[in-house]
This record gives sequence, C-alpha cells and structure tokens, in this order.
Amino acid sequence: MNEKTRFMLALITPAALVLILFQVVPILTGANASFRDWTLHDPKRTWVGFANYLHVLRDAEFRDIVLPNTFGFMVASVACSLLLGLAIALMLNSRFPGRWLVQSFVLLPLMVAPVIAAIMIRWMFNDQFGVVNAALEGLGLAPISWLTQRWTTFAVILLTDVWLWTPWFALILLAGLQSLPPEPFEAARIDAASAWRTFRYITLPMLRPVMVVCIVIRAIDAFRTFDIVWTISGGCPARATELFSLYAYVEAFQFLNLARGSAAAVIGAIIIIVFALLLYRVLNRFVEVSR
Amino acid sequence: MTDIAAAPARSAGFFFALAPRGKAAFFALAAIAVCLLFAFPVFWLVLTSLRPGTGVYYVHRGTEFTIDNFHEVLSQEIVLRALFNSFMISTLATVLSLGVTATSGYMLSRFKGPIPNVWFSLIYIFRCVPYVAWVLPLYFVTQQLHIFDSYWGLLLPHIAVHICFFSWIMKGFFDGIDPSMEYAAMIDGCSRWGAFWRVAMPAAVPGLTALAILCWLYTWNEFLFALILTAHETPILTVVMAQFVHELGMEWHLMSATAVIALVPALVVTLFGQRYVIRGLRI
Amino acid sequence: MADIVLNNVHKVYGHVVAVKDINLSIKDREFVVLVGPSGCGKSTTLRMIAGLEEISAGTIAIGGRVVNHLQPKDRDIAMVFQNYALYRHMSVRDNLAFGLRNRRVPAHEIAAAVSRAARILSIEPLLDRRPYQLSGGQQQRVALGRCIVRNPKVFLFDEPLSNLDAQLRAQMRLELKELRLRVPTTSIFVTHDQTEAMTLGDRIVVMKDGVVQQVGTPLELYRKPANRFVASFIGSPSMNFITVSVSADGEHFALGCQGWQFKLPARRFPDLGSHVGRSICVGVRPQHVRLGAPMNDNQIPLNGTVMVTEQLGDEQLLAVRLGDGEIRIAGVDPDLSLSTGSRIEAAVATDHLHFFDELEQMQ
Repeated sequence: MNEKTRFMLALITPAALVLILFQVVPILTGANASFRDWTLHDPKRTWVGFANYLHVLRDAEFRDIVLPNTFGFMVASVACSLLLGLAIALMLNSRFPGRWLVQSFVLLPLMVAPVIAAIMIRWMFNDQFGVVNAALEGLGLAPISWLTQRWTTFAVILLTDVWLWTPWFALILLAGLQSLPPEPFEAARIDAASAWRTFRYITLPMLRPVMVVCIVIRAIDAFRTFDIVWTISGGCPARATELFSLYAYVEAFQFLNLARGSAAAVIGAIIIIVFALLLYRVLNRFVEVSR
Repeated sequence: MTDIAAAPARSAGFFFALAPRGKAAFFALAAIAVCLLFAFPVFWLVLTSLRPGTGVYYVHRGTEFTIDNFHEVLSQEIVLRALFNSFMISTLATVLSLGVTATSGYMLSRFKGPIPNVWFSLIYIFRCVPYVAWVLPLYFVTQQLHIFDSYWGLLLPHIAVHICFFSWIMKGFFDGIDPSMEYAAMIDGCSRWGAFWRVAMPAAVPGLTALAILCWLYTWNEFLFALILTAHETPILTVVMAQFVHELGMEWHLMSATAVIALVPALVVTLFGQRYVIRGLRI
Repeated sequence: MADIVLNNVHKVYGHVVAVKDINLSIKDREFVVLVGPSGCGKSTTLRMIAGLEEISAGTIAIGGRVVNHLQPKDRDIAMVFQNYALYRHMSVRDNLAFGLRNRRVPAHEIAAAVSRAARILSIEPLLDRRPYQLSGGQQQRVALGRCIVRNPKVFLFDEPLSNLDAQLRAQMRLELKELRLRVPTTSIFVTHDQTEAMTLGDRIVVMKDGVVQQVGTPLELYRKPANRFVASFIGSPSMNFITVSVSADGEHFALGCQGWQFKLPARRFPDLGSHVGRSICVGVRPQHVRLGAPMNDNQIPLNGTVMVTEQLGDEQLLAVRLGDGEIRIAGVDPDLSLSTGSRIEAAVATDHLHFFDELEQMQ
C-alpha cells in the first residue's frame, strides 16, 4: 500500500468508523431484526424468514392507506412547492422596490424547525379557537373541523410542507435564474419573443437541470417525512394520515414490534432507492438534451 | 443577501406581459401575498405566546399582552435543560461533523480511483436510505453501547448523517479550490497532511463557515433522532415541544412561548450567518 | 432605405458617462466598424442602436424613423453576439425559425427562409443538430443565419470573432466578406481588433472613452490619423512616437531630441512655425523606416543602435535605440544579420512624418 493510498484511507477513517458503527451496523441490525421475531418486551429473536415482510405487505392498512398516502403526499408536495417556488423565483429575479424585504420574508420558513411549523399551523387550524375557522366564521361560512377528517388533515399537512419547502425551491431556482447567461434573452428580445414564449422556450429549458436536481432531492425527502405528520396528526384520525415513516415508527414503538417496524422500514428503503434511481434516470434524459 | 439583490434582472417573467399599470398592481399584490403567506404563521405564533392563558382562546379578539408565558415556560426545569442540551448538541455536532466531513470531502475531491468511488457510492446510498430504517435499530445499538439517552448517543448518529449530507458539498468546495497551491506546497517540502491542513483548509473557510451555519441549524431543528434516541436524561427542545402538543394540548399559550424561545436562536444564526452562507455556497 | 443616423447620442450610467454626444451617419448598405479599446463605449453604442440599452439623450434613426422608444423587435434589426447566444436546447433549424415563428410568419415561408439562409452559409447538414454539438465556427455561422433569415434592414455585430482562435478568426473574416456580397445590408461591427476593423470596414469609427476620435476609410485612418490615439491604434506594429523640440533655423525648422536631429524646409511645413520653441511629438510608422543612408533631400536620417531583433521569416523587426528612446523598424531583410549593439543607419521620407501637438495632428 503506497503512501497515497494510506493518506486517502487516513482521510476517511474517522468518517468511515462513524458511518460503519452508526449506519451500517444499525441497518444490518435492522435487516437482521426484520427476519426475526423480535419484540421489544420479549426479545426471542427466533428466525422467521420473511414472515414479517409478508405481514406488512399483506396489511391492508399498509397497502391501501400508507403507500397511497406517502406517494400522493410526495407528488402533491413537490408539485406545489416547485410551482410556487418557481413563481416566487421569477418574481424575485426582477428588480422592484422592496425586493430585499420580500426576500427576507421568503427566507423565514427556512429558519423554522419543521416541528415548530407544524405546531404553528396546527394551532391556526384548531377547530374551536384557530384563526382559520375564525376567519371562515367572519366570512359567514361554517367552521371546519380540520383535524378530525382524513382529507382536511392531509390538506393541513400538505400546507405545512409546502410552507416549509417553497422557499428552498425559490432560493435554488433564483440562484439558477441568476446564473443564466443574458445573451440568449437579449437575442430573444430581438427575435420578438413575448414574455410567455421567452419563459417557455428559453428560461424553462435552461432551468431544467436545476429543477431536476431539486425535484429528485425533495421527492426523496418528502417520502421520508416524519416530523410534521407526527406533530400535526400523529397519524390520526385512526391512522388514516400515516405516512411511511410513521407506520414503521408505530409498529416499532407503539406496538413494540421492532421486527415488523424494521421490515416496514426496509421495504420503504427499497422502494425509495428504486424510485430515486428511476426518477433520476428519467429526468436525466431531459438534462442531457438541454445541455 | 446584498449579492443577490444587486444582480441584474434577467429573464422576463409573465408579469411583464401585462400592461404597465396592471403589471405594477399585480406585482404589488403578489409580493404582499407572498410576504403574508410566509410571515403569518410566525406572527400568529408570537402573538399567541404573548396572550395570557385565558385570552389565548380568542387570540384575534383579545387585547391583553403578557410575558408571563415565557416566565412560566422558562421556570420549567425540563425546558431549561432541553434548551441547554439542544444548544450543546448542535454546537458539538457541528464542530465534529465539519472536521470529519472536511477530510472526507477533500479525499473525494483530490483523488480518483476505486477507493474514492466506493466511498462516494457508499455515501450516496446511505443518503437515500430513509431514516426510519436505521433509527429504529439505532435505538438498539446505542443501548448496546451504553450511550443511549446521552450526548454521544445523539452526537454520533448525527455525525453519521452529516457525513452523508455534507461530504459532497465539501467535495464541491474543494473542487473549486485550485490544487496547484497544494502541489506547490508539497514541492516546497510539505507533507500531504500539511498541504491539506495549511493550504486547502484555509482556502475553504468561506465554505466551511457556510456549512457550519447550515449544520448548526439543521441539528437544532432536528426531531426524529432526538425523539427516538433520548428519554428522560437528555431532553431535547424539539421533542419537548412536540410532547406539549400531544400531552398538554390545551396549553397553547405555553407551547407557543416554548416555540418562540426555540425559534430565537435559529433566527439569530440565520440572520447573522446569511451573508456567509451565500458567499460560501457560491460555487 | 436603411441608413442609420445618430444625433448627439449620449449615455450615462449614474455619474459615469459611457458615450459622449456621438454624431454618426451611416449610409444604406455600408459596413461600418466601431473600434477602440475596452470601455470606449463601442458596445454601448451598438446596444443603444439595438434597443438593448436606453438612450440617455439624443436620437437614433433607422431608415429615417426615430427608434428611441421602439423595442428591439420592432427596429427591424438582427444581432450577432460575442458568445453566439444560440438557444442551447433548440435544433439549428428551430434557432433560425424562432424569430419568424414569434412573428407569426406562415410555416411555408419560414421553411423557405430557413433553407435559403442555410444554403448561403453552408450549414444545411447541421439543421437538425443542437448547438452544443457544433464547433465554434459552425455556431457562429448559425448565429449569422439567425440574422439573415429575417432579412432585416440592419446587421449588428458585437465582437463576434473574439471567441474564436486566430486561424478561425481569419477564415471567418473572409466568410463575412463573402456574405456581404451575397446579402448586402447596412452593418455595424464592433471590435477591439484593429486588423478586423481595417479588413472589414467600409468606414471605421475609432472611439476612446466614449468619444469618437475619427471617422474615415481604412486608408484615411492609416495615412492621416487625426490624433495620436488613432495613429497608435491603427497599424501593426504600431507607430513610433518621438518627442522633439522645434526651433527656427533660417528657411528651415530644426527639430531634434537627444541623439536625433534633422531639418525640415519651412516652405513645406508651415504649420510648424506656431510651435517654435516648444516640444511636439513626431510619429513614424515602423514600415516607413528604411535601412540605409538618406537617398535624397526628402529623406531624413535615423541612426541608432540595435537592441533586439525579431525574425519573422519574410521580414525582421528591429528595436533600435534612438537617443533616449526606442523605435521599431519593420520590413528589414530577413537575411541581414544584425547583432545587439551594432549601429545602423536608417532613413524615412518626410512625407511619412506625422506631427502631433499634445493630441492633435497638424500637417
């Protein structure tokens, strides 16, 4: 082993140690646990093969509620944040008085912990004393019991996520917009391109690489959402708003079945990795073309 | 902040398609709507935290203001301990993570071949794995190592996550630093370590600062690990707040106060560090 | 008719004056080059004509119509940018057709215009490729194609050859001249390279610090530069300048500095009279200095010491010490072997002397 190799390994040794101990080992332990009968109050740990996996996959709760919830949430959240973020980025890209003020406001959600955001919005949508229902009453409409029905709860969760992540999209897209060369736009002005045509045929295609990266990153993270769902609904009503991470958590720490929780988590991991690869490959085609 | 604000307007948005007067009105409306949208929940939270316990139920109608909520919340031992712990964990995690990810990112940037490739793939894969898959067994592992519900029990897993997140940002920084300075140093007699420590690292300071701020904020706001890996010995602020929601659901005024207290450091760090983040992330 | 008239055009950025009261008249189908060092205001002027920059004061008229408040798309112009500014993700065909499609031109007309432009520029095989698949020269041709496809009244070129390597640049210059023959259009070409200016322009406008220094044909600028800046800018290698003092000497004027003295008949150079007792600057082009003693009365001697020789193959360049300063001599026989420190005799015709009084020329 020559000196260069030794140096390379030395550079990553501390990181590798931590990674192995606190990522590889737990994942392996989890995988191991998923194949055994392993409950937290009664760690028998007998090998049961794929029984836990089958149990999860056959669980109607999982198939009909958790999976659609998670994918639906992911799609809706990314789509809304992207569109809103793009609109805000376009707005911030042009000069207008008070731009720095608007920009500071847009940065606000980035400072707030997801838990806090969830708390704030949950309080706003409180069915008796929340400001949203008060506003509805003021307009003469009937108050809605937000957190007792599935779809309204979902809407609140979605709103929280969009509130949190739109600024992230907006900032990155703004940076992307500002790094675009000005000449094609000047050429477009001479070519009589309207604002819409400029946006559609020039801005958008040039922004595609950045958007693709954002979408993939955010989609993966949306899939793993836990904080805000836990804080807003805890999965209620009756586990109808459970996402993936919650399902695994509930299995492990409420039903105290570490094995099944791990199995669910492993299934989720596989789904997200496959999905991420697919998404990346599909969107990458656009990137290659626009390069 | 100023850098972004000074950049010239480039692409035309749809807004310019409208007639000049209509455009200005639409713009103003949109700008106000955006500001309201993002500021309102925070504003409401702060307002709620300033209302007395009885008045909180009609936050929008009440007229009294008080800071009793803050007094009460800060007199609770668990909140104070949580504040302290969160602060310590965030700071320690940031310092340690930066050290570990800096070397990792440097290796990825300066070297090619099987070892960097393997390391990169490893990091990439683990970045994609959902937390839940390994947090649950992490519960178990930390218990086995007797570090459950302690500082190390939280720090080390956080560092593991940061390695995955920040290594490739670090790589980006080092990619942007011309390696010829390090070669020159090595020709002048520096060892590889010396070149790294005395030439590359100082040049990476803007990036490191940006990353430190992001890392600190991220750890301060983190929830899942804190929830699973701590119990009563090491209360963490985000968990304490979430517990309030579920257990003391009625006491929104206290909860808002706690949330505002949790918000303040994040706000300060962001406002102060914003400039460095933007400068440092300018790749 | 697509003539262009700039009337007292003025441009300020805050407190900085970028372009100072330019008056320019460009005839229909004329190819005018704006040339000057960086920051002289040439690009700004071009962009004001294009409509990409606001005009602070003055008027610009294209084809008799004042265009100050017209959008670029309404001015009937086309522009070639330094870095081509092609639409990266559109095919070449779409790049050419974009402007026409935006103007709602019927599809068959667009197809005809595109194929005509492609034929003229020999880019037909490239029509379905993307810009990133093309070489620099090909991209520049597509940019030119975008210009001619709409048949506008005016072509504007903003340093289009600056991004090409030297060989490609020379080739593109030829292609531009050929294009001119096939599609004669009023053109304004901005460059910092005096060779491009001289070879391409019908007329050249030399600018410095936002002010027009001189307007004229290439030969006019070469032979009769209006001031020292133009004299130093046009011609390569650039003109030698020597400061000399003037005194009267009967029917002659005696001019000289340390190491160099000569006389000029007062009859032929009357303007020198007003500068007796003062210093002026004499300009001599390296190409006009000939090795050897003066051959007749119309030549004056220039004797100095060789400092550096540069062999170019078909000629040599010499740097010669003359008194306190140094002059360059071009066109020296490449076979002549001159060593550093050797004294040489040289001469220059009095017709080839330029005189500059601080900034101006008198003759």
